[in-house]
Amino acid sequence: MNAPLRGIGWVTAAGAGRGRAGEPFAWEAGVLPRLAGHPVFDESVPRAGRMDEFSRLGFAAVALALRDSGLGEGREKRPVGVAASSTYGCLATDRDYFDTVVPHEGRLASPNLFAYTLPNCFLGEAAIRFGLTGPSLVVSERRPAGLEPLRLALESLAWGEAEAMLCGVCDLPAPAGLAAPQALPPGAVFLVLGGRPSASGCEPYGEVSVARGAGVCLDGAPVDSLFTLVANALAARARSPGRLPRCT
Amino acid sequence: MRPVWVVDAAVVTALGADVETLWAELLAGRTGIRAVERFPIRSYGSRVAALVADLSAAPGRSLVHDLLERLLSRLAPLPADAELLTASTKGGIDCLEPLARGELAERSDLLFPSLLDEVSSRLGLGGEAANVNAACASSTIALARAAGRIACGTAEEVLVVGFDLVTEFVFSGFSALKALSTEPCRPFDRGRTGLSLGEGAVALRLTSEERARRDGRPCLGTIAGWGVANDATHITAPARDGSGLILAVRRALAVAGIGPEAVAAVSAHGTGTVYNDAMELVAFREVFGDRPVPVHSLKGALGHTMGAAGGLEAVVCLKALREQRAPPTAGLRDPEPAAQGQVAAEAVPFSGSFLLSTNSGFGGINAALVLGHRGAA
Repeated sequence: MNAPLRGIGWVTAAGAGRGRAGEPFAWEAGVLPRLAGHPVFDESVPRAGRMDEFSRLGFAAVALALRDSGLGEGREKRPVGVAASSTYGCLATDRDYFDTVVPHEGRLASPNLFAYTLPNCFLGEAAIRFGLTGPSLVVSERRPAGLEPLRLALESLAWGEAEAMLCGVCDLPAPAGLAAPQALPPGAVFLVLGGRPSASGCEPYGEVSVARGAGVCLDGAPVDSLFTLVANALAARARSPGRLPRCT
Repeated sequence: MRPVWVVDAAVVTALGADVETLWAELLAGRTGIRAVERFPIRSYGSRVAALVADLSAAPGRSLVHDLLERLLSRLAPLPADAELLTASTKGGIDCLEPLARGELAERSDLLFPSLLDEVSSRLGLGGEAANVNAACASSTIALARAAGRIACGTAEEVLVVGFDLVTEFVFSGFSALKALSTEPCRPFDRGRTGLSLGEGAVALRLTSEERARRDGRPCLGTIAGWGVANDATHITAPARDGSGLILAVRRALAVAGIGPEAVAAVSAHGTGTVYNDAMELVAFREVFGDRPVPVHSLKGALGHTMGAAGGLEAVVCLKALREQRAPPTAGLRDPEPAAQGQVAAEAVPFSGSFLLSTNSGFGGINAALVLGHRGAA
């Protein structure tokens, strides 16, 4: 299974960015930027103020990846799906929600917070804003590397479930006392795989593939994590900047 | 594509911890929805749910371990190359409740990687594993991914394990959304007022036909088709036009290579909320036209078991195909007008090789499976 890598978007402790904008990519431990006033949350996202922090993080990276891909940011429905990986999911929102339950034996439990206590809700927000009607799901990997969503995306493309797939990871910092071994740094990083060339007009960063027993590869070279894949894709672009015209 | 066989299945529900008992209880029209005594409920909009009897946990630990052990102990040994996909929305979220009250609890129970390690170790599986979280369609989507991998030859064997608990966390949340029925829920009934929560666990072992024959495994039925789609409309409410569910069902039928006329009956999500059930009836009318295909829901018997729901419904569908009758819709008294002639409070005999099972959930997700009788073309 293989597909062209058409877009990269991220929000990490180093900042928010996307591949074709030439912004530096780093993905290390640290404090994530505030996203409340970020341009992706313009008037086209009326529910932005209601979103929890986890959803805002994931939504922003999805929006940046989609913009980077040149596949368009309209609302019209289209067969594009999203697969995301998360280790902690919306545990921070879970805690915020249950803090509204405890004081008054549940009488003041917040329905708005409860609505965001499923980690796939930000995929729903992205689906509404960008008309994404393909499969959407969140997975938690036994050994978090961010590669399972790539496999899921390539499967969906190979099975004809979607014309393009967004895939990546989304995690807030580990809740206190809950650091999982081998967890990726906090942040959200999304890729766009597949899509018709005529729709994007952008030359892809490379070819992502997965084969039984061979793991995930970028242009035939194995990668051990989503971080490595993105870093290698951006490094290849830096070596030949004329190869990837700006899309927007 | 290669045929995908289901060769083993196990269940833990409020109506029994084996498939035969569950089937007998369903046919008898019984419900496992009863008064909740696990946590204080006086502030909430309902006092009932379908709980698994006598679940217990060590101090500060989640009940999920007991639930999973009861399930996994019923499975035949698996080969080491079997992949594992679990499907749960909230895992060991009951451990968050004491933590929020300043009490001690095991925090790792809140993390899916820890639960995946536990299940993998218990079953002797050393490979990669993942938990699928797609709200109330989680185990349906996990089954779809597993079936797709086997059908396309990228996996030989996949175990899907769905599970979720009734906790104060989820109970209070659905109460806050005013989605709970005060009485045991009544899917597709004119007087339905909401859902009843339930808990349970389910495991389905999927294998390529070639490997199943080589190993002499029985065929409980097949997963013949699958489809998943987002309705891109609202994060907690279904699209009233059923657009996402229609897409998912048509995709599942296309994968199975059958038309809607080949579907003998439908296992609906059927939560008992006004909008979900109405949306499903709109979608089924669009797909099946004027043919009154029999529709049933298990939610009035088992409650809404969230991440386990689609898996439990798939197991019951496979049993229904072998028995050639669909189970009753418990709680049904007076079918809503759009469901007249399609839903019944009694078991419904049918003749056919394929059943459709559907689920929908928060985030706008919809999923459908086509389950096949062994030998179905």
